[in-house]
Order: sequence, then structure tokens, then C-alpha cells
Amino acid sequence: MVQINFARKEINCKLVYYGPGLSGKTTNLEMVHAKTPDAHKGELTSISTDGDRTLFFDFMPLDLGEIAGMKTKFHLYTVPGQVYYNSTRKLVLLGADGVIFVADSSRAKLEDNKVSLDNLRENLAEMGKEFGKFPVVFQWNKRDMPDAMSPEELAKELNVVGAPAFEGIASRGEGVFQTLKALSKIVLASINSTDGGMSQGPDPVKAPTAKSAPAAKPVAAAAPAQKPAAPATPAPAVAASGGLQIERNNIGSGVKPAATTAASAGPPPARPDARPSMVAAAKAPSAAGGLSIERNETPPPAAPSTPRPALAAATSAPSRAPEPSRSAPAAAVEAPRQSESGSTQDVSDLMKKTVSASDARSSARMDDVFRREVKVIGGKLGPTAGSTSNKNSAVVAVIAVVAVALGAALAFFFLK
Amino acid sequence: MTTDHGLRESRLVYYADNMDQIDRVLGEFLRRAGARSAYLIDRDGHLITHVGEAGNVDPDTISALVAGSFAATKAMAKLLGEQEFSALFHQGERDNIQLSLVGGRAILTVLFDDSTTLGMVRLYTSDAVRKLGELFAKSKAGATASSEIDPAYGTNVDRALDDLFKDAKP
Repeated sequence: MVQINFARKEINCKLVYYGPGLSGKTTNLEMVHAKTPDAHKGELTSISTDGDRTLFFDFMPLDLGEIAGMKTKFHLYTVPGQVYYNSTRKLVLLGADGVIFVADSSRAKLEDNKVSLDNLRENLAEMGKEFGKFPVVFQWNKRDMPDAMSPEELAKELNVVGAPAFEGIASRGEGVFQTLKALSKIVLASINSTDGGMSQGPDPVKAPTAKSAPAAKPVAAAAPAQKPAAPATPAPAVAASGGLQIERNNIGSGVKPAATTAASAGPPPARPDARPSMVAAAKAPSAAGGLSIERNETPPPAAPSTPRPALAAATSAPSRAPEPSRSAPAAAVEAPRQSESGSTQDVSDLMKKTVSASDARSSARMDDVFRREVKVIGGKLGPTAGSTSNKNSAVVAVIAVVAVALGAALAFFFLK
Repeated sequence: MTTDHGLRESRLVYYADNMDQIDRVLGEFLRRAGARSAYLIDRDGHLITHVGEAGNVDPDTISALVAGSFAATKAMAKLLGEQEFSALFHQGERDNIQLSLVGGRAILTVLFDDSTTLGMVRLYTSDAVRKLGELFAKSKAGATASSEIDPAYGTNVDRALDDLFKDAKP
């Protein structure tokens, strides 16, 4: 999920390299890391096995720099490709804003590619995201394999949604940046869309898919660079929206010249996950010439199936809201006797109450006093929390027995 | 629907007003607990804010690892029939990390050394978590924020991508 942090003036996006084992995901990331200037990259962290196979994920932050006052960062992750690591793969995929699917071009690996793609579709569905609407870019990697399938064949077998696709030989750095750049554009274009981006946008009109059009034809060799016009004069559409304008049919422009054919290829095949945006017709860049992506379909008013929570969407404040009062500091001594779950909170409350009874000057001093006291308490709350619980239970039992005895005595007295 | 409303509804958006309050809570927490630094990280692995010593820790990397660690722990909790483990503790020879879930959405990550104790950190963490949860809830209730992304962002981002990926020859 894209994070927009106005306080830190940051925009953070999470991009994930997905694909079957040994397809070149980590190699892509290593190449990005190797070729990116130091000022724009962070450390490449890998959680891998002794045999250098990705166990959990590889990670590197990529800093795009400050754009219109907002520092923009991509967090790049890879997933472990092996089938049996699906649980960790799902964890990495959680919160992703876009996926680069790295497919092995080798004919012998076609089945592995299909299995991995199905797995991606399933995992996205579990997260309430529809594969056809989620930002995905394909990379046909290992083009130097002797039994490499043609890009057209690969597109027909794998790229049924007509997403942008690029040929690559990651080990030589070929196609690595093109792929990443294409996904980056798509993800950033969705930042200011009011529908929450492609993963949640209104159901788009179905468009031709790769089955009927050469939309997924590799375009790495034909991608004309978009030349932005003067940034000070953004396109009217951009200005009107107060931010980025999503023009879905322009996403592929500049990276998919073959897409024009796709748009004119007639009605789409009846595929439930067809996505028009990625197969989109190649249009001239907008007047602003920048990342202007506009929807040319009429968005139905349907609400997103899985609305993303805003900052506090999933938060729930604890119901307890202790009011400061002027309690005796000595009460803190009793704190460890509280039930285990509440003991830390109660001691904390007592500390707070005590501190609030003092002025700001004495507060610091009292903190020091209590720090010493609480260190003792803290020791009990920490590693020995279990034994504290047992003691608490015993104390409660004793109090209960005494209360019953007192009650009986009083009853006897009154009856008499 | 205004752009701002759209952002608030569909993104993780943090505004300066909220962040000032969050930073104050974290600052007070650090002072009382005697911890070195506190990172508030969202569960997707993005840093929300950081207070205290920066040290040599790369905030992006620790955010990604913390989020991964917490996510893995949640999966383990589910295997045991728990919804999730709300706190984690990593003990080192000198430095330690205490992780606590805040309002289901963020993770409070506290770095501390032997100048304080785990009990001390846990004690004040619960209070900080409660306060942060209240702030998040209040933020959701609808602070009117005037922040917006500059309209020039769309055009400038394209140029920045071209610059950064200039090796990406067609």
C-alpha cells in the first residue's frame, strides 16, 4: 500500500519481484543495486539459505529523490520462488503496490512459470486483490537460453491480461531497468487517484488481451522515451485533479508501441481477468508529457471490493483511558500484585498519576526515583512474568477466603 | 470527492499535525523508559516516524525487517490458534529490540541497551501504545488536513524516473 507521509514529505511504494525459483528475481535486484548510484540506493539485504537461495526475501530501498517536494522511495523486494515457500511469499506480497513477474524464458520452465503465476493470482485473491487489476509487469528473462520460447509464445501462455512485458537477460543487466521503470510509472501514476489506484479502481471496461493481439510483444527494443514538457506547466487535466491524473489507456505508451494493434483488435476474449489498462493503445504523451495517465473508460460507481484502510482505519484505541489523579506514589508498590495482563498498565497508570501530580520540574526527578523502583518491578514483569502470575493467583485466593470468612462472621453477628 | 479525501480513504496517509503528536508521545516514552530510539513502522514495512538516536541503523532496512518479522510471527500465532502475538522481544548482548503492535496497523519498535531494563521498556510501552492508538483513532475521525501533493508531481516524477533509469536504453 502506497504510504504518503506529508510529515516526512515522503512517498513510499512497495514493489515485489515474483516468479518461479531460479528465474532471476534476486539477480534483477542485484543488478539494480549494482547499477544505481550510491546516493539513490540503500543496502541490499538478503535473508537467504547457505546456498544463496532466497529464504524470506531480498530487500533494497531505491530513492528516486525529491519530486515536487516529496521524497519518493521504492522498496524493492523479492520473494522466494520455490513452491514450498508459499507462506513466506504471501508475507512479502502483503501490502505490495505492484509486481514484476520474472519468467524464465526456457521452454523447460514453462510449467514452473504457470504454477508461479497461478500462485500469484491466488495469493492476490487472498488479499482481496484481483490479478487483472493489480499493477503487474512481466519480464521474459534468460533470453539467452538455447531453448528460449519466443516472446509471443510466452505472452500467449502467461500474459493473458496483456500487461507490459519486456525481454531481459538479468545477469547482464539487460531489460532490468526497463521493467522496473515501467512498473514504477504505473504505481506512481495511481498515487493520487481517488479510487485508490488500480488494485481498487472501478471495474474497467474489458479490452483486448494478448490472446488476440500482440500486446505483450516485448518492447524493450522499441520503447521511445517520453520527453516531459516544462514541469511548471502541467497538463490541464493534471492541474484540475490537484495531482496525478490517471489515464489508463496511456499507461503503455512509450513502452508498448504494439498496443495500438491491441486496441483495434476487436472485442476482447471473454476472460474474467482481462485488463484494459495495460494493453492500452499507444497514445501520444499528454500535453504535459509527463506521467499523465488518464482513464478513457467510464468508471462504474461500484465501490472497491476491499477498501484500503487509511492511517487509522485498522486502529482501535484501547478502551481504557485512565484519568490522572493525585494518587499516593506508594501505591506503586502494590502494582505487581495486579493481574498479569493489567499489571504493566496499572503500574504505568500509577506512574503517570504520580507524575501528573507534580510540576514539570519535579516530574523528571520523580521519573528517576520511579525508574529505580520500577526496575525491580520490571524484573518481575519480564522474564519471571509466569511466576508473578502464580503469586497473583495465590493472593487473590487468600483475599477471597478472607472475604468469605468476613461475610460469614457478619451474617452470624446480624442473625444473632 | 476531493483529492484529499481520496487520499485519506485509499492510502496510508500521515499528516504533519498527527505526526507532531505522535513524535511527542514517542519522545516522552523514550525519556521515561530510558530507551535509545523508537521507530513507528507500518505493517507494510514503511517507516512512519523515528525519534531518538539514529545511529548506524538504516531506517528503511530495519522497517522492512521488522515488518517481515512481525508478519512471520503472526503466521506462527495463527498456527497456534492465536490471532497474533502483539509483542516481540529480540535480545542481544548489548542491544535489544522490543516490538509492539499499535492499533493493528503499526509496529512500535524500541531499541534499547543495558542503560535501562526490559521491564522498564515494557512498562512505558503499554502506555505509549495506548496513546498512539488513541491518536490513530482520532486521526481517522477526521482531522481536516490541507496537505496535498503538488500538481507538478506527475510530470516531475516521469523526469526523475528517466534520470534514475537512464541506463535503461530502449
